Amino acid sequence: MISVNPSTNNLEKLDLHNLPAEQTALDIKNLNLYYGEDQALHDISMRIPNNRVTAFIGPSGCGKSTLLRCINRMNDLVEICRIDGQIDMHGHNIYDKNVDVAALRRRVGMVFQRPNPFPKSIYENVVYGLRLQGVKDKRVLDEAVETSLRGAALWDEVKDRLNASAFSLSGGQQQRVVIARSIAIEPEILLLDEPTSALDPISTLTIEELITELKEKYTVVIVTHNMQQAARVSDQTAFLYMGKLIEYADTDTLFTTPSEKQTEDYITGRYG
Amino acid sequence: MASLSAQQLAANRGRLFKDRAARYGVTLGGVMVLVALLLIFFYLLYVVQPIFESVSLKEEQSFSLSNSEDVEALGMEEQAEIGYRLMESGKFEFFALADKPIVNRKAGEIIDSKEVVSADKITSFASTLPVNKQYAYGLNDGTAIVAEPKFKVSFAEDPQTGALERTITPRVELLNNGEPLVVDESGQALEKLAYESDGDTMMFAAVQGGNNLLITKYAAEENFMTGETTLKPVFHKVTLNGTIDDLIVTPDLRQVMARRGNRIHVFDVGVSGQVTERELMLVNAREQGNATGLYLLAGASSILVTHDTGLVTQWFQVSTDEGRQYQYIRSFDAGSPVKDIEVEYYRRTFYTVSENGQLGIFYTTSEADLYRGNPLETSLEHVMVDPRANYLIMQSGDRFSVFDIKNEHPEVTWSAMWQEVWYEGYPEPDYTWQSTSGSDDFESKYSLVPIAFGTIKAAAYAMLFAVPIGLAAAVYTAYFMSPSVRKYVKPTVEIMEALPTVILGFLAGLWLAPIIERYLPGLIAVLLLVPAAIILTAFLWSRLPSHIRNTVTDGRAALLLIPIVILVGWLSFGLSPWVEQVLFDGNVRGYLTNELGITFDQRNSLVVGIAMGFAVIPTIFSIAEDAVFSVPKHLSNGSLALGATPWQTLTKVVLLTASPGIFSAVMMGLGRAVGETMIVLMATGNTPIMDWNIFEGMRTLSANIAVEMPESEVGSSHYRILFLAAFVLFIFTFFFNTIAEFVRQRLRDKYSSM
Repeated sequence: MISVNPSTNNLEKLDLHNLPAEQTALDIKNLNLYYGEDQALHDISMRIPNNRVTAFIGPSGCGKSTLLRCINRMNDLVEICRIDGQIDMHGHNIYDKNVDVAALRRRVGMVFQRPNPFPKSIYENVVYGLRLQGVKDKRVLDEAVETSLRGAALWDEVKDRLNASAFSLSGGQQQRVVIARSIAIEPEILLLDEPTSALDPISTLTIEELITELKEKYTVVIVTHNMQQAARVSDQTAFLYMGKLIEYADTDTLFTTPSEKQTEDYITGRYG
Repeated sequence: MASLSAQQLAANRGRLFKDRAARYGVTLGGVMVLVALLLIFFYLLYVVQPIFESVSLKEEQSFSLSNSEDVEALGMEEQAEIGYRLMESGKFEFFALADKPIVNRKAGEIIDSKEVVSADKITSFASTLPVNKQYAYGLNDGTAIVAEPKFKVSFAEDPQTGALERTITPRVELLNNGEPLVVDESGQALEKLAYESDGDTMMFAAVQGGNNLLITKYAAEENFMTGETTLKPVFHKVTLNGTIDDLIVTPDLRQVMARRGNRIHVFDVGVSGQVTERELMLVNAREQGNATGLYLLAGASSILVTHDTGLVTQWFQVSTDEGRQYQYIRSFDAGSPVKDIEVEYYRRTFYTVSENGQLGIFYTTSEADLYRGNPLETSLEHVMVDPRANYLIMQSGDRFSVFDIKNEHPEVTWSAMWQEVWYEGYPEPDYTWQSTSGSDDFESKYSLVPIAFGTIKAAAYAMLFAVPIGLAAAVYTAYFMSPSVRKYVKPTVEIMEALPTVILGFLAGLWLAPIIERYLPGLIAVLLLVPAAIILTAFLWSRLPSHIRNTVTDGRAALLLIPIVILVGWLSFGLSPWVEQVLFDGNVRGYLTNELGITFDQRNSLVVGIAMGFAVIPTIFSIAEDAVFSVPKHLSNGSLALGATPWQTLTKVVLLTASPGIFSAVMMGLGRAVGETMIVLMATGNTPIMDWNIFEGMRTLSANIAVEMPESEVGSSHYRILFLAAFVLFIFTFFFNTIAEFVRQRLRDKYSSM
C-alpha cells in the first residue's frame, strides 16, 4: 500500500480545475505535440499551482517527460518536434513568437535524470548561470554559492573543497550540485526529470527531503517512475497514459481513490 | 545425463576455441603492427648508422723496398694493385702492392723502373694535384721535365681455371717526348718548382735566385697546314723582396701563390699569360704560429697552410667589398708540426704527416678530426691515397704498408647537418642543401636545416588555412547544423580525404598556382572579404524580424550563406584585374618585388597552404566533428536549461568537453601536413631556402626524399642522408603524435569523465 506523505495532508486542498490565477504557476491549454507524424501529447490542459510539488506519473513513453520539457521549451531542440496549444505563465504564452527562450529557461530551471555537472569545479558549476548573466562581483558569487549549496543541502559536505572538480563527488552529491546550480539563478519553477532514478536509496532520500523543502520557494514539477516517490513528495499528481492526461488530482486522492480505471490499474501495478 | 553434459562440454570447447583464437589473433595483429614499426625504425637506423662511424685502418700488405730514403712522391693506380714512387735521383719506379700469381707478381716486387732524368741535373720537384697525376723535375739549366704514369689494363686467361683475369701494365710517359721544357729563359737552375696542367695547357711556377718568381705557361698550338701541335711558352718574371719558400699553381692555371714566410702572394694569370698581383695575405694574424707550408685542397678552391704550432689552417676566396679575397676559414690541430700534406682525389679529406711521424686524417668542411695516431710501429714518412680513397700506402724507412681505409662519409657529421657550415666560395657560414651538381670536384652540401624548416613552413601555412576552416566547419556541423543536413555534409567532407594527393598537387601546381599569380589581389580579397561577409550576413540575419527568421530553422540558416560566399568570391575575382590596374599599376608581382622587396615565386607557400590545407581539412574536420558531436547531450542540455544561449553553451561547455578531441584533430592534421609528399612536391618549386615569405616556396623532408632518392647512389653519403631525413621525418611525426596523445589524455582526464 502506498503511504502518502502526511505533510501534503496539512496543506489546504486546491480545486485544481478552477484554480484562481494568483495561485497558478502554469496554465497548460490544449497542448498537442507531434514528433514528425506521431502525436506524442494529446490535448493536455491542466493548471499547476505555485509553491506546490506536482508529480507527473505514468508508464514509460506516456509523454510525461515530454510534457515536462514543454514547460521550458527543451523540445525546441528536437528538430522534428511541433507543438500547438499554449502554456501560460503569468498570463503570457511561453510559445509566443517574441519569447526569448534563454530568458524563459532562466525562470524555469530543470534538473535531469542523470547528474550532469559540467567538467568544472563545484564552485564554477554553481555560479555558471550567474556568470552567463554577466555577474562578475566575487562577493555576489560567493554568497550565491553558499545560499544555493545550503538550499541544496550540500553546503556542509563540500564547503571545504569548492574548487574540487564536481566529478569528484558521489552521484547523489552531484545531483544536488545540479539542483544548487539551478536554484542559484533563482527560478520560479523547478522541473525535475526523474532526478533520483540514477541514485542509490540514501541519496534518493536526501533529494526527496530537499524537494519538500524547495517548494517553500519554488514551484516544483517532478516526473517520476516511482509511485512511492510521487506519493511521498508531491502535493498533486497527474497520471498520463499514451500521451493523454488521464487524471489530475491531489496526491492522496489520486492514490487512494482514483476516479479512472486506468489510474487504478497503474497504481496497483497491473501494468507499467 | 552424462551424455548431455558431455555435449554441453563439447559445445563449450568450440566456443572456447573461437574465443582463444580471436584473442590470439587480435594480439598477434597488434604485435605485428608494433614489430613492423620497430623494423622500420631499426632499418632506418641501420642504413643511417655508417655515416657516424669513425675511420678505421686495417693493414693489408707490408713489404720492403730498398733505397727508400730519397722518395719524393708516392702514388697508386685506381685498382690499388700497383704503386709507384718518384725518387730524388730522378727514378720512376712501379711496384706491386698485392700478390698477382697469374703474372708471377709478388707484393713489393719492382715491376718497372725508369730514370726520367739523371740525378745530378735535378734541383727541384713538383707534383700536380693527385687527380691530374703528373710530376715535374726542375733542372739546373732552367728547364723542367714532366713525367706521367700510365696504366694499361688487359685481360689474360688463367691457365688453370680458364677465367679471365685483369692485369695492369704500367709505364712512364714523358711529356713533350722527353724534351725538357724551358721555364727560365736565362737558363738558371730552378730552385723551387710548382706545376699544373689542364690537358692542353701547362703552367710552371719556379723560384730562381731566391726571390725571383718565374711563371711560364705552355699552350699547345696546332699548325693548321701540317696538323702538328707544338708547345708555345709565355714567360713572366716577378721579383719579390724576400726568399720564396713555397709555390703552388691552381689546376685551372689562373692563379699562382707564393709563400714568403707568413706572407702569401696571390697572382692572377690571364689566359694569354699576363700576370697581375691580386692580394697579399698574412697567414699568422690569428696566433696560429708561423707558416711552414702551403698546399692545395682537392677542387683547388681552398688552400691549406701548415704552421709550426701543429695547426693546419684552411683559406678560400670569399666575396668582399674589394672583390674576392682569401680569408681564414677554420683550423685543424694535428698535434705536432706538419711536414707534409696529401689530399684526396675528389673529396675534401687531407692526410697529414707530422714531424713526430704521426698520421692525421681530417675533413675540412665538416671540421672532422677523423684520425690521429701512427698505425705503423716506426715513424711515418710518406703517405698516399688511391683514387677511390679505399687504400693508403704508407712509408717508413724501407718499409711500405698498404692499409685498407674505411672512411666512407667524412663529410657528414652531426654539426655539418644541423649547424651553419662555411662552404667553399660562400660569403659566410650558412645552412645549405645542395646534394648534386655536374662536376666531380663539387662538394655536396647536406644541411638538413633548410628542409626541416621547409617541412615546418609548409605545415604551418597549411595549418593556418586548415585549422580555422576545419574546426569552424566541424563545430558548426556537429553543434548547429540540423541532422538532416549533417547527414549529407559529413560524408561529403570525409570523401575529400580519399582524394589522391597527387591530384591535389597537380591541380595546385598547374591550375591553382597560375590563377593565384594572375588574380593575387582577388585571392587576398577573398581571404579577407569572405569571413567578413559571413559575419556581416549573420549580424544582419539576427537583426531581421523574427517572423522572417522563423521561416528558416536554425540548423538550415547556414545554407543562406552559400549564395553570399559565391557572390563575394565572384566579385573579388571579377574586380581583381581592375583593382590591380588601379592600385598596383597593373602588375602586383612587380609591385611586390620592386616596391616591397618581396620575392614572388609562382609556386609558393600560399598555393601549398591552400592545397595542403584542403588535404588536411577533412582530417581535422572529421575528428573534431566527432569530438564535438559526442559531447553528451545532457551536458549541453544542462547548460541550455540554465538559460544559456546556444553560443554560450558552445563556448563554455561543449568546446571545453570536446577539447581533447579537438586537440587531437589538430595534431593529426599537423602530422598529416608534416608527412604530406605529393602536394608539396608538385606545388612548391622545391627550393631549399629558409625564409618565412609566403610568396616563396620551400623544400620539405618528404618531397626531398621523393625527388632525390631515385637518383642517389646506393650506399653513398647522399643515400644515407636521405634515409636520415626519413628518420627525422619519422621522429617528427612520432613526436607530434606522442605529444598529441599525451595532451589528449591529460585533457580527457580533466574534462570528460562523464
